[in-house]
Amino acid sequence: MTLAELVDGPLWTVALSVFVAGVAWRLLVLIGTGWKRDLSHPRSGSLGGAIRGVVGRFLPRQGMAGRLRLHLVAGYLFHLGLFALLFFAAPHVDFYRDRLFGFGWTPLPHWAFVLAAEAAFLGLMLLWLNRVLNPVTRLISESGDHAASVLTFLVMLTGCLALARSHETLRLLHFFVVELFMIYFPFSRLMHSFSFLLSRAAQGAHYGRRGVRV
Amino acid sequence: MNAYGLLWGLLLALLSTAAQAQNDTPPQSGIWIPNPGADLWKAVRQRGQPEPSTTQVQGLDSNQLINVAGEKFRDWRRERFIRYAAYLLAGVPVVILIFHLLHGAMKLEPSGRKLLRFDLYDRVAHWLLATVFLFLAFTGLLMLFGRFVIVPWLGLDAFSPIASASKEGHNLFGPLFLVALLWVFLRFVARNLPAWRDVVWLLKGGGVLGGEHPSAGFFNGGEKLWFWSLAVFGLLLSLSGLLLDFPSYAPSRELLVLALVVHGAAAVILVAFSFGHIYMGTAGVEGTLEGMRDGTVDANWARQHHDQWYDEMVREGRLEALPEAQENRVDETGTGQLGEGRT
Repeated sequence: MTLAELVDGPLWTVALSVFVAGVAWRLLVLIGTGWKRDLSHPRSGSLGGAIRGVVGRFLPRQGMAGRLRLHLVAGYLFHLGLFALLFFAAPHVDFYRDRLFGFGWTPLPHWAFVLAAEAAFLGLMLLWLNRVLNPVTRLISESGDHAASVLTFLVMLTGCLALARSHETLRLLHFFVVELFMIYFPFSRLMHSFSFLLSRAAQGAHYGRRGVRV
Repeated sequence: MNAYGLLWGLLLALLSTAAQAQNDTPPQSGIWIPNPGADLWKAVRQRGQPEPSTTQVQGLDSNQLINVAGEKFRDWRRERFIRYAAYLLAGVPVVILIFHLLHGAMKLEPSGRKLLRFDLYDRVAHWLLATVFLFLAFTGLLMLFGRFVIVPWLGLDAFSPIASASKEGHNLFGPLFLVALLWVFLRFVARNLPAWRDVVWLLKGGGVLGGEHPSAGFFNGGEKLWFWSLAVFGLLLSLSGLLLDFPSYAPSRELLVLALVVHGAAAVILVAFSFGHIYMGTAGVEGTLEGMRDGTVDANWARQHHDQWYDEMVREGRLEALPEAQENRVDETGTGQLGEGRT
């Protein structure tokens, strides 16, 4: 078996299995953990609090916006750019159609793809620079945070280098890094892609029941 | 056809081929029979009076079959530009090495007192520009010298994906350079306005000539020279790069060729200049990197290299000996930081 066959075949199967099973397991554990029963008299609805928790946290609290300006702008640039690239880049849509779902959808036009890529790269670099240059974020960052940033950057970079779709070597390199990313994903901080909804909702529901407006 | 007919036919064919082969050189004597294809190729290459051609293909110079000026530019680029660029980019590190061997690093005697020099935004803007610049320099130099360095070493098959990856990466990161450049310019321009003391600083070679360290404000003459070089050449680099990124928007091929020349020259000058900047920021002057990493510099470093800025900070009461407890706290975290907002 050649390296190309390994990357395109068994390694992809392993990566996909680890990703799906790992994410499902982590989410089930989170949901299954539950929390201590609140015996206090509910002052307001939990559901409304949960929704407020999920939606309201998309913007920083008043008074914090100035201090979090860099974080906020870079965060949105990166996450929106990456979302657009992941689901609407033409090579990715082809991949979903041919290898995963059997159907595709309209991809981004090239100019929008370039714009999304620029935003994603700019956002990720700013976030990582803020992480290492801001004394507070540097203090609370661990090796796992840096590994997640570097791996995400490598996925994006190898994808960008293979953009011409003219060399099989470059496609395989990108695919290989993506597989490493998928295997690492469930056991890392990257899980926040899914868990942020649960944590925001749980905290929002808790506050909602106690009548706390944040 | 009999045997005589066949022989005559062969003879005529041979004569015809020989006559065509001699078309490039004028006949010494006799009757010159011009190559019927010569006029066609002259017209194709548009020598002499260019004749307008028409085509249904929409695009820049799509009605031009052979671009003679492009060939000349390519020859110039390969034979002159790349050679002199290589001399410059190899020569500057050698000069820096000789300088370092002769003078050594400028030592710093730590005072234990810190001054906040660059805030978080200064540092993020600087390192963003530095990261993008290094990536673009690496991929750009791969494309410029790859044919002469990588191909003989790894071969064409290996260089092909490297060149393709470099081109794609270079094109995609190019616009980010402009964004970072504008950000750095806006943040640092007020502190880089020229002053007479900068001329004195440059004339004294930053203290190398004459021995005495010349006076300097927040930035010295050398740093300002680097800043304005970066601003001017960086802007030329970005604008020419954008034109090369989107060639279909260029009004003429001549402008694209000019953009290639400007892009290459500005890039080589900036890369050569950056060697000096990186040297001075790391191995050349002790305590400099700390300023751009943690934001703070030692008071002695400030007094030694930026005496007027140091005096200003002292007058404003911004230089204080750190309380021991605070020093310990800083050491524990490893941040070397007094906290944001102490500007």
